[in-house]
Amino acid sequence: MDETELLALHLQELRRGTVVVACLLALRTPDYGYALLRRLDDAGVPSDANTIYPLLRRLEERGLLTSAWDTGESRPRKFYRTSDAGSALADRLLVEMDRLTSGLHALTGGPDR
Amino acid sequence: MTLTDRYLGVVLSAVPRAQRPDVERELRSSIADALDDRLAAGEPPEAAEAAVLEGLGDPAALATRLSDRPTSLIGPELFPAWRQVTGSLLAVVVPLLAILLAVVAAANGEGLTEMVGAAIGGAFQALLQVVFWTTLVFAAVERFDTGRDAHQALGVPMGRWTVDRLPVPASARMGASDLVGELLSSIGCIIGLAVLTQVAPVIDGRQVPLLAPTMVSFWVPVLIVVLAVLAVFQVVVYMAGRWTMRRATIHALLQLAFSVPVLVLALEGRILDPAFGAAIRVPDLGAGDGWLMISIAVIVVAVTAWDILDAFRRARRAVV
Repeated sequence: MDETELLALHLQELRRGTVVVACLLALRTPDYGYALLRRLDDAGVPSDANTIYPLLRRLEERGLLTSAWDTGESRPRKFYRTSDAGSALADRLLVEMDRLTSGLHALTGGPDR
Repeated sequence: MTLTDRYLGVVLSAVPRAQRPDVERELRSSIADALDDRLAAGEPPEAAEAAVLEGLGDPAALATRLSDRPTSLIGPELFPAWRQVTGSLLAVVVPLLAILLAVVAAANGEGLTEMVGAAIGGAFQALLQVVFWTTLVFAAVERFDTGRDAHQALGVPMGRWTVDRLPVPASARMGASDLVGELLSSIGCIIGLAVLTQVAPVIDGRQVPLLAPTMVSFWVPVLIVVLAVLAVFQVVVYMAGRWTMRRATIHALLQLAFSVPVLVLALEGRILDPAFGAAIRVPDLGAGDGWLMISIAVIVVAVTAWDILDAFRRARRAVV
């Protein structure tokens, strides 16, 4: 396994947890899967289509998202929206991520030292 | 049929039926959206479609993530137990049935070719039956078991660990080797009964069946069903990891469902075909007060009593 492969593997591990937070935060404004992907990309938290679609379903099963089909447009689209429970969870997770980040900086003797 | 249709075909075939329409509609519109973007950027249509689908990756992997259910017949937690149980049963049942059927063929006065044929056929049957039934039971556990007890029994902690999860004393536990022993005795009885119905040696120029006609046509099938239920119940107790009073009671009832009919049949002299005793010049061989039937009755009572008491003893220790 060379360096770029290792990097890709660990980046993927790192993003696995953040993509949940990103979805819950982004979907406070309702959106459909493909548009969400684009928005996450633009926001600098890229994710893969084959991660997002299963994730949206799982979050919906857990009551963190709600969904509704919009059949008014040229093609039918499944819109997801963050539920109150999902929104509260996202806030908690965001706080935790900030805490982890400053913890990591403290360990490296970085900005927070 | 477009590439997209073929891709969705693979995904949907592996997704639970109830989710299919929803998954298809969402994926179709997403693929179409992504395709529009690529076409707008000036990509040639065919390359664009391929790129979109390759972006979604292996359709089988996507389906696995979408459906969130076990995709293996027997998962990694149960596999070691499955292998141990299947292997141990095969090691005993296959040669046993092969030898038994060869002996029966010999007793029935058949030639060497028939004996070898019967042995090979028996080994093959035993192989298929053992692998099929153990796999079926384990696959059912994989899907329908609510988990905790079974996974705990196999040493895989699930959920929050508390001191209650510490292993119960070995004497109260039902381990894999106990299970194999119990299954072997049940399966051994099933095979024994099935084989006895086939015994019909040629005496004085005509075939004389060993067992009475009602045994062959009715009692043996009933007893085999009872033994099969008992075997399944033993697997259930093993999965649960320990004996309880309730399990010991059910076990006792199943044991009695087997031994009471056998006892009654033996003491009423209804097991053997009277013609068999007469043909081998031991007319009272099958009589209810003959030595053979009395011995069978004594053995059945002793073994049943021991099995029932042992289960209760283990259940009482498990309470501690």
